Amino acid sequence: MDLETLKKTVAEGLEEAGAAQTADAVEAVRITYLGRKGLMPQVMKELKTVAPEEKAEVGRLANTFKKELAELLESRREELSGDGKGAAESATFDYTLPGRGPRRGTRHPISAVIEEAVAIFGRMGFTVAEGPDVETPYHNFEALNTPGYHPSMDRQDTFWLDDGKLLRTQTSPVQIRVMESRTPPVRIVTPGRCYRRDTTDATHSANFHQIEGLYVDSQVSLADLKGTLAYFAHEMMGPDVAVRFRPHFFPFTEPSVECDFSCHVCSGSGCRVCKGSGWIEIAGAGMVDPRVFEKVGYDPETTTGYAFGMGIERIAMIRYGIPDIRLLYENDMRFLRQF
Amino acid sequence: MKLPLSWLREYVDVDASAEEIAEKLTFSGTEVEGIEHVGAGCESIIVGEVLAWEKHPKADRLRLCRVSDGSNELPVVCGADNFDAGDKVALAPVGATLPDGMTIKEAKLRGEVSQGMLCAEDELGLSADHAGIMILPADAAAGTPLLDVMGGVETVLELEVTWNRPDCLCVIGMAREVAALYGLDLKIPEPALEETGKPVEEWTRVEVQDAADCPRYTARVLTDAELKPSPMWMRRRLACCGVRPINNVVDITNYVMLECGHPLHAFDFAMLKESRIVVRRAAEGEQMATLDDEERRLTPEMLVIADAERPVAVAGIMGGAGSEISDATQTVLLESATFDPALTHRTSVALGLSTESSHRFERTVDRATVEWASRRAAALMGEHCGATLAAGVIDVCGEAAGQAPIVCRLGRLESLLGVSFSRDEVLAILARLQIPVAESNDETVSVLPPSFRPDLKIEADIFEEIARMHGLDEVPAAAPMGRVVVDADDARPRAVVACRDHLVGLGLSEIMNYSFLSEQLVDRFGKDADDRRVALLDPVSADHGIMRDSLIPQMAESLGHNAAHQELNAACFEIGSVFYRAGDGIQEEDHLSIGLMGQPQGWGDGAADTSPEGTFLRIKGLLEELVRVQNAPALELQPDTHPAFEPGWCAALFAGEEKVGILGLLVAPIRHQWRIQVPVAMAELKLDAILSQTHDVQGFKAIPVYPSVARDLALLVDESVRHGDIVQVIESDAPMELTGVDLFDIFRSEEIGEGRKSMAYSLTYRSAERTLTDEETNRLHVAIMDRLRQELKAEIRER
Repeated sequence: MDLETLKKTVAEGLEEAGAAQTADAVEAVRITYLGRKGLMPQVMKELKTVAPEEKAEVGRLANTFKKELAELLESRREELSGDGKGAAESATFDYTLPGRGPRRGTRHPISAVIEEAVAIFGRMGFTVAEGPDVETPYHNFEALNTPGYHPSMDRQDTFWLDDGKLLRTQTSPVQIRVMESRTPPVRIVTPGRCYRRDTTDATHSANFHQIEGLYVDSQVSLADLKGTLAYFAHEMMGPDVAVRFRPHFFPFTEPSVECDFSCHVCSGSGCRVCKGSGWIEIAGAGMVDPRVFEKVGYDPETTTGYAFGMGIERIAMIRYGIPDIRLLYENDMRFLRQF
Repeated sequence: MKLPLSWLREYVDVDASAEEIAEKLTFSGTEVEGIEHVGAGCESIIVGEVLAWEKHPKADRLRLCRVSDGSNELPVVCGADNFDAGDKVALAPVGATLPDGMTIKEAKLRGEVSQGMLCAEDELGLSADHAGIMILPADAAAGTPLLDVMGGVETVLELEVTWNRPDCLCVIGMAREVAALYGLDLKIPEPALEETGKPVEEWTRVEVQDAADCPRYTARVLTDAELKPSPMWMRRRLACCGVRPINNVVDITNYVMLECGHPLHAFDFAMLKESRIVVRRAAEGEQMATLDDEERRLTPEMLVIADAERPVAVAGIMGGAGSEISDATQTVLLESATFDPALTHRTSVALGLSTESSHRFERTVDRATVEWASRRAAALMGEHCGATLAAGVIDVCGEAAGQAPIVCRLGRLESLLGVSFSRDEVLAILARLQIPVAESNDETVSVLPPSFRPDLKIEADIFEEIARMHGLDEVPAAAPMGRVVVDADDARPRAVVACRDHLVGLGLSEIMNYSFLSEQLVDRFGKDADDRRVALLDPVSADHGIMRDSLIPQMAESLGHNAAHQELNAACFEIGSVFYRAGDGIQEEDHLSIGLMGQPQGWGDGAADTSPEGTFLRIKGLLEELVRVQNAPALELQPDTHPAFEPGWCAALFAGEEKVGILGLLVAPIRHQWRIQVPVAMAELKLDAILSQTHDVQGFKAIPVYPSVARDLALLVDESVRHGDIVQVIESDAPMELTGVDLFDIFRSEEIGEGRKSMAYSLTYRSAERTLTDEETNRLHVAIMDRLRQELKAEIRER
């Protein structure tokens, strides 16, 4: 038997050993290959007729195979009859028993929404920028063109610390910090925690998350902003979700808009989620006010840009149909395991 | 702000429906949050006349009334006491339906028959007033439908006026918006005055100490005012706007404020010492009682209106009780002024007193409207209070200078909005908004911002006007584009995302807690670190008063919350900032906490061991695997103590020389507070210690070519000898052929003896150059056994 034929014989032998379903079949395989008149003794007998260059290899392979097959047949015999269980067990195996093995944990829905949003904006070239939760009034208010007596500056809305700093009420100060530290272009999103002195109820939380975006360059328009938010809307909420702009006011953008998404549940015809209007208020946005550019040392004549911001909890609640914001901070495993 | 449409239509002839107007306003920047129909549902309510009443024989607080419905006399039982025989009242007769859907039936109240109900305003949905039943004008005929007396159902828009548009906080301001949106004319009444009294200068004097605090102050004097309720139509309008009618003089000041946005104040002239007005800062410690009967402590940071001796009003916020208009008032001093917005705001915050007046002054009122508002109110007082008007007006400071023109470039307008506008389109929009244009050419339009638009300061402000009038939703969405900012570095946030993925992949679920917690909870975990704590100056509640300086307390609390809800098995992590005081400032640092309780699902057979040792080793193993998948530097454990952790079950985590965290088993007293019966393992570490860096790639190691040889080794050692000691001895002088040391058994028995244990290891040998012979392997193995005997006094039980 030449090397090529032997290799084929070996492969067949291993397969037949596995295919044997009864002790008799196992014995038959043994006789075929290892029996006194079996194939392997025959190979050894005929070894002298093998071409000289193959002789050593054929001998080694035949020996290894003999040992291997003998072990394999032995274990197969045990599987089938050993303690008398093998075959019987496989015949009556209850495949409906609970599966075992690893269980993945879950991301918090707030993280899930942030990561999803970051990924969507990431596809448009936005990178993540972060800043401190403890901020100066300058970065949180003044640099954002918010006068010292703006209502949001009120003590009743802001958490103050005893060193004159505060807990940021928005992630916008990160925009200021990034612009202070580099020249345009700037294309960032800023997910993060914010704090307002709201009394906690079903829709308010004193500790919440926002994601804001900022694009500053030489030729940026409101139409670009709309295109960007429209892409985000259908990536985040669904391919049929449209956006619309309504004028609004924010101190740091001019013009300022509120951006509504068409309701992903009823496709705009009106339902409980959108309170019958067909639209859901999601984002505040606008063209960066030139006075903000002046504050960070950019030339307002040559620089234009847009900014937008939205609440993560709100998106999470709408996306997953969570009725009460407090569920997001209770850390109940029965809730968290669903994400 | 509430806007009654019948009032709006006095100034602009708009015939669109409420819904259409609401839509237009919402899409031009003033969001309409609701549309109310005040009076709807009152169709079956009529005017009743109280003919007589007597006390209910069995109930002190009820009255038995005889009420005429115009044709019949009805017995009606009523709980109010603000009426008398002869009064006209709102009557819901048997069969009538109230706005809330309730139908009136004949009833017996404490044994007395009642064939109707006398209604209060709130019961009719007309206002929030439930002070008593509604008293109607004496000339209303019994039996007339109530709506006829009230002038029908009023449609009221509920507006959200943005902070930058104080001009919209009044009916005329909104009429101006509506006129601009529909291209209609704005009709503002011109008040006609009959100034028949002696000159106002003979009545009073006004002194303004600092024009910066009070840029303009006007005063008029009206004599012989007849105090009475205002006419029905005025009271209805005030009520629709949420302002409670009081008397005709006060109502007129409020009416004019709601009409033109300019708050006014009326003083009882007789109460002003020396009959004069001084606008000044309050003296330190000065006090006054305001109209709400609160005694206010004033400071020099506050502006007051004073007479010769004492403050009579907190400027722009609230009048004083001492000079309040009362039924006895005959002569009125009418103030129309402007006050510094920031000063007004600070005072309002300091006093905790926010009023319709302060709301407007802190947002800036139009200095040019001061005089019109004064005339308008004086004319109405002449008409409705029968007052005689002193000749002339005292006007301190007068008109303001006009604002400088704003140059708007049409090219920039187009590039900023992404929409092109012709000059004519821009001019048409500005004209509709009553924004005058000084000059214009093909490139620029030079705008003169009117005094009623304090928000228009720069070019972008004008662009916004054009955009919102054009319709912001008309702006097309440009195709979204990508743009790579090459030097933007967000490696760290991406590393955090990757780390979270790994933690989740290891079977942990993410929790999220507030950044602040209660002092009580912090204290449970040790009071030693008091000086590290960062407290909020003014927390919403004591539950959230301290910034967290560790994630451990809330992790324990979260596990406890779950234990309390029969969720006894949990594996959790949290990534979040902690805050602590260090040096002069507040440090902020990202931490990771991990908590293991019970037998988390899917953790394999090893999770069944909820002994302290099993639990501790599980969290240790988790950290080891985390470090491995994160490709972070190894963490060394060193014995440590922590108030949250059991002594002897606590270790510090070191990355090189730096202590980066701690782990341990939660102390029983804390566990027991949440009724947790099983050991709980927790770890907290600096997040940066386990973050992998983007470019920090582990290089490839060649796969071994030659087979390995395993040799087992069992040693009997004292209990004090630790696994770490054994590994250290084995590895201290190990040949390079030793490639693995694995503990596979620990065994204790009587046979081995007290204080001793057997530890079994499997050692793996492999050469990179050849297949090791038994002889070579034995030589290496024997050398290691010799060292173990010498250094650890180990007794080797060879296998």
